[in-house]
Amino acid sequence: MSQLRIADCVPEGDLLTSGHLACPGCAAPLAMKLALKALGPNTIVVMPACCFTIIAGPWPQSSLQVPVFHTAFATGPAVASGIRAALDTQGKFDTTVLVWVGDGGTFDIGLQALSGAAERNENILYVCYDNEAYMNTGIQRSSATPWGAWTTTTPAQYPEATNKKDILAIMAAHNIPYAATATVAYPVDLIDKVTKAKAMRGTRFIHLLSPCPPGWKCGDDEGVELARMAVQSRVFPMLEVEDGRRWRFTMEHAGDPVEPYLRRQGRFRHLSAEQVSHIQAEIDAHWQQLVQRTAQDALVPA
Amino acid sequence: MPETITTTDGARAIPEVAMSTTSTLVTRTGSWKYTRPAYHDRVAPCNAGCPVGIDIEGYLNLLREGRVDEARDLLLAENPLPAVTGRVCHHPCENTCNRRTFDGAVAIHAVERAMGDLARQRPAPVLKGKRRTERVAVVGSGPAGLACAYHLARFGYGVTIYESAQEAGGMLRLGIPEYRLPREALDGDIARVVAHGVEIKCGVRIGEHVTWKELTELFSAVCIATGAHTSRALGVPGEQLPGVQPGLVFLRDVNSGKRPDLGRHVVVVGGGNTAMDCARSAMRLGAKVTVAYRRTREQMPAIKEEVDDAMREGAEFVFLANPVEFQEANGRVCALVAERMALGEPDASGRRRPVPTGEHFTIEADTVLTAIGESSALEGFFGDVEGSDSGLQVDALGGTNRDMLYAGGDVTDLARTVADALGAGKRAAIGIDRHLRRHHGDTAELNALRFADGNLSAVRWMGRDPIRRVNPVNAVVGVDDLNFAQYQRVPRHADPHLDSDRARGGFDEVNAGLSTAEAMDEAKRCLNCGVCTQCDVCLIFCPDAAITRAADGSYTIALDYCKGCGLCAAECPRGAITMTQDRP
Ligand SMILES: Cc1cc2nc3c(=O)[nH]c(=O)nc-3n(C[C@H](O)[C@H](O)[C@H](O)COP(=O)(O)OP(=O)(O)OC[C@H]3O[C@@H](n4cnc5c(N)ncnc54)[C@H](O)[C@@H]3O)c2cc1C
Ligand SMILES: Cc1ncc(C[n+]2csc(CCOP(=O)(O)OP(=O)(O)O)c2C)c(N)n1
Ligand code: SF4
Ligand code: SF4
Ligand code: SF4
Ligand SMILES: [Mg+2]
Repeated sequence: MSQLRIADCVPEGDLLTSGHLACPGCAAPLAMKLALKALGPNTIVVMPACCFTIIAGPWPQSSLQVPVFHTAFATGPAVASGIRAALDTQGKFDTTVLVWVGDGGTFDIGLQALSGAAERNENILYVCYDNEAYMNTGIQRSSATPWGAWTTTTPAQYPEATNKKDILAIMAAHNIPYAATATVAYPVDLIDKVTKAKAMRGTRFIHLLSPCPPGWKCGDDEGVELARMAVQSRVFPMLEVEDGRRWRFTMEHAGDPVEPYLRRQGRFRHLSAEQVSHIQAEIDAHWQQLVQRTAQDALVPA
Repeated sequence: MPETITTTDGARAIPEVAMSTTSTLVTRTGSWKYTRPAYHDRVAPCNAGCPVGIDIEGYLNLLREGRVDEARDLLLAENPLPAVTGRVCHHPCENTCNRRTFDGAVAIHAVERAMGDLARQRPAPVLKGKRRTERVAVVGSGPAGLACAYHLARFGYGVTIYESAQEAGGMLRLGIPEYRLPREALDGDIARVVAHGVEIKCGVRIGEHVTWKELTELFSAVCIATGAHTSRALGVPGEQLPGVQPGLVFLRDVNSGKRPDLGRHVVVVGGGNTAMDCARSAMRLGAKVTVAYRRTREQMPAIKEEVDDAMREGAEFVFLANPVEFQEANGRVCALVAERMALGEPDASGRRRPVPTGEHFTIEADTVLTAIGESSALEGFFGDVEGSDSGLQVDALGGTNRDMLYAGGDVTDLARTVADALGAGKRAAIGIDRHLRRHHGDTAELNALRFADGNLSAVRWMGRDPIRRVNPVNAVVGVDDLNFAQYQRVPRHADPHLDSDRARGGFDEVNAGLSTAEAMDEAKRCLNCGVCTQCDVCLIFCPDAAITRAADGSYTIALDYCKGCGLCAAECPRGAITMTQDRP
């Protein structure tokens, strides 16, 4: 069979309803739709301030068919820890507590709460949907914004000057049971990872690349293709880390040049050829590091 | 008394903690959109590129689903001779196949051939339609005549084919040798035409045993499909010498079982299929063969595979060689004198014209076979039918300037291939049907029968298209309309060939073809361009959960919620969704 049969691996039925308030083509609701297929109805979502707060709908509506707790920006993992404790007290061990939060809420303002929860190995699933800036408040840079990108606080003359934080390595360094990357271009991989994480106990972390048409300055219909290009050009490799030690690629990465990926997005339009080469060199160096880490996988006893 | 608030669902008490009670379905986000998606099946380029007018995508898709009988019937509904075309068609469908630049075109010919061979072991799917009282005569039993008769029979007419040769098949029997087209394959396909009730009278030459006038009086309509059987002369000194003969005459002898003695060295003049068949047949009779062609390899009109096979089997090629004279020794040809050519400016066909250099050379020859083209003998029996040296002139439905006379195939001035002849025969059958039923359709009606701008579909003409199509648009789906990320690379099955020594040793079929299982695998390589296969990709990728699947597998887009992002259309593997502007 020449077509990849993704339908066979994607469960039917959605816990995300239409009428949500995401922009056309936003990957975040798509990611949520797919994640909830894996998690099912016995899930409680904790949601710090982010675009998804809006996507979830204004009171008294909700676009999620599971309970959602809207929380203050910095407090996602802390609130989730509390909910977990309350559920455990009631013997509801099977309920998944999902923290669903943006990159600003993860890489910047939520990092201490996340690190604390991970240190305690709280029994929660944390998904950071990363659109690489503070999108909800108008595209301000975050520490997840890639080097060279335009945002409203890093204009094209002075684009983002620091590298994106390696959040996966940071979380893996907490030696949590599961840390992984995922994205909407690979629904089966995404669902597999969420399913695997769901079955585990302790802090589980998924870093999910989530293209944002208004923030990335791309077409409404380009998000999935850009996510695919990000993976295949190794900008955003698909990985899994167990117990902070066993690193593994979860698919083949073609190693396509990064330039076409950058050129399709208005936020990178100003980049010179030298700047593109610099980005490529950084990607190649990071890839080498990952190749070494994944190669050690075989040496680490499970 | 708690405070109340009025919300979208009426006045209600404000709870202590704000808690949602309804879903976002109250928000009709569909009003945001300025483009809207719609399911529109389109036409696969292979279908448009097939001169026969076969729904290739349609039958490949049925094969993918394992519906082999239905696939076979769909193929047979458009093509009476699949075992033949699967072997000898130049398969232009594959040149247009959208898989071409991904990992190689689908080997459509190989699947067609396997289907044709399967169909041989199966009774013909005869249609139970209304019988018509009119009778139609078809003159010539080559692919054009067979196709015309077959389709007319399926439309309900009684048909008689008159054939001057002793057996039916035209050039398929008289020209194309057995190592490319074994006779049981040809006979099987013809038997199916006969099983449809077509009567074939062999050994009757119209114009000699029966006059054209008599024919027009006996039948309600006549289709002229007499082919092109006169070898063009080179027009150079020595052409009359013993040992110089038209390649077609040689092939006819070989194909009727004769094994003429050609001597040691045979020179074949020409670069078309006839030339290649002469060369390969002569090698099988033990000769050493040189092909002299006045242009280059790239410019040869022969099917590429045939040139490859001829080379593999050991024929020597001398390109840019234009015959100027045949030399004589002992009352027989002994050599060909040729002038070296060079490539000049492009000619009418777009190929660079060979121009003389003044340099001459000699090639030794015991026999020379000339094969520089065939013309049709418009012997004046139907002298008032319009045509020119290159053949009869016909309209889009094979109609000549004479009311009841239709024509198709090599006798007309259109392309000369088996597939074109089959397509022309079908067009003439539809033309005759329209004529006899006094049906006057317009161009739009006719275009609706085409696969995009390709040939006509007989199933569409009969209103029996078995393929469920979603809001079809009769336009080709291009390679840029597809999403290759949803496909895996799967290498194309190559045709297995006899090794050259064995091939040269006899007239066994050289291309062994794919096994049925391999052919079914190859069918699954088809991308099913333009036609929804209900793969769910659009539904999976819609970020607004606006797409739902009904029990019958069809999809509905909730336009009240769809924001028009276009992800469904972008991610559809086969271009079956079209975005249209919603507001200016
Ligand atoms: C050697 C050779 C190899 C070829 N190889 C290929 C190939 O590999 N692929 C390809 O696509 N094409 C090939 N062609 C071309 C192809 O064979 C022709 O285009 C095709 O056969 C034309 O079909 P037709 O029905 O118009 O005519 P034909 O096949 O020529 O049939 C016409 C029939 O009419 C009969 N006839 C003629 N006059 C009368 C009359 N007055 N009364 C009764 N009967 C009459 C003839 O005997 C003949 O049987 C080849 C041609 C030749 C010569
Ligand atoms: C303490 C605090 N500071 C600022 C805000 C305003 N605020 C709400 S959402 C948001 C941006 C969130 O960015 P991110 O986490 O990346 O999610 P995104 O909106 O990009 O999906 C900000 C700054 C807030 N709600 N609370
Ligand atoms: S992939 Fe299939 S449908 Fe598309 S052009 Fe090729 S054979 Fe036809
Ligand atoms: S993916 Fe969904 S929202 Fe986007 S255009 Fe298609 S149906 Fe509409
Ligand atoms: S994505 Fe699949 S189901 Fe949707 S229109 Fe295309 S072929 Fe049909
Ligand atoms: Mg963000």
